[in-house]
Amino acid sequence: MVHAYEKEGKLKDGSRIVLRPMVAEDRQRLIDFFQALPGEQRLFLRHDVSDPEVIKAWTEHIDYSRVFPLLALAGDRVVGDATLHRIPRGWKRHIGTVRVVVAAEYHNRGLGTLLVHEMVELATELGLEKLWAELPLSAAGAIAVFRKAGFSSKAVIEGLVKDQHGRNTDVVIMVCDVGTQYG
Amino acid sequence: MRLAVLADVHSNLEAFEAVLRDCAKEPTSAVINLGDLVGYNASPGECVDLARRHQMISLQGNHDRAAVRPRFAEGFNIFAHKAVLWSSSALNPEQKGFLDNLPDTLLLWDRYLLFHGAPESSEAYIFYLFQAKKAFSYMRQRMPEGQIAFFGHTHHRAVWQRDVRGRIQSLPIPRGPTALDPEEMYLINPGSVGQPRNHHWEASYLIFTTKPPAIEFRSVPYDLRLAQAKIREARLPDYLAERLAAGV
Repeated sequence: MVHAYEKEGKLKDGSRIVLRPMVAEDRQRLIDFFQALPGEQRLFLRHDVSDPEVIKAWTEHIDYSRVFPLLALAGDRVVGDATLHRIPRGWKRHIGTVRVVVAAEYHNRGLGTLLVHEMVELATELGLEKLWAELPLSAAGAIAVFRKAGFSSKAVIEGLVKDQHGRNTDVVIMVCDVGTQYG
Repeated sequence: MRLAVLADVHSNLEAFEAVLRDCAKEPTSAVINLGDLVGYNASPGECVDLARRHQMISLQGNHDRAAVRPRFAEGFNIFAHKAVLWSSSALNPEQKGFLDNLPDTLLLWDRYLLFHGAPESSEAYIFYLFQAKKAFSYMRQRMPEGQIAFFGHTHHRAVWQRDVRGRIQSLPIPRGPTALDPEEMYLINPGSVGQPRNHHWEASYLIFTTKPPAIEFRSVPYDLRLAQAKIREARLPDYLAERLAAGV
């Protein structure tokens, strides 16, 4: 059991949001968050987040040692969701994978940067050495956010994933050497 | 002169007491605390009182500063942030006053430089060659008579050496008492008492003998389960208890 704890973050315009780990009681807030995402933003998400059953499964099977979900809230509303995925054993045990989704009205307000930086800070605390992110090559804004947080592009794989319409999309692999973020 | 050098106690009273018991087995002239008495674990006030009672030569670490002035915790990750605010709420005004008045760096007896993270900031780290190079450069400019500096903050043991030709390297952590070359310069990190991150749970500290200069890294077992139980009782993040056992 992880007890609830939270931290305040500041956006570019000075407004404040709350960051805290997801808990089971966040189910409806998450459903509302994902259902409000524009269709084009949902195209590139790994799971079908429009299905409440998907969200139900997430909130009923929280295991912070494998997936650490950090929510950004404005008041009682989820406006961002960042997850740090870990594989506890094996040759990738030192690597965390980062995924970040931000509500459309919070784009270009510094929330993505805040969440990615928080993931990097968290990775150092969890003893990870590298962070991994996969982004659509067309998502220039998101790529810039990850780059500012210390990630660099390592590879572009053409047509790697299919969006929800079945179209192949190029993906850029970005990696952050967490150790170099010290100091 | 025999000195005990320790860092990053981080409110782990059980580890702190075990280290002090270990170093008291032989006469010790002084105990040097390189900062971060508080944060992360669940006995901040007791650790501050213990450092005061032993009249340790103490520095202020970034968690000590954030416990006194919470605005400095804004950049902490969510675990460290929660823990340092909890530490802040658990300290009394006298304990906070003690932490607030500690220096960032100290030149001890004009010979030994002490700092928490890096000479320029308690938040900066010495993990990599370029960071060690910068610290040696600072030492050469500011302390021409001094050749040895002690630091903490990374929670990892380290010995950086700058030889007479200016070549800098990270040395393997020696086992047992090891002489230092009086012609060369050293940056030495004793590891962490209260939250070691070298994949080993025991508290880490260092014995430094001044003449001839020599160091000995020590690992000390302590009541881990009690330290973990206190973290859970304080409703701090469970991860902070789990990591103690894993040494991360």
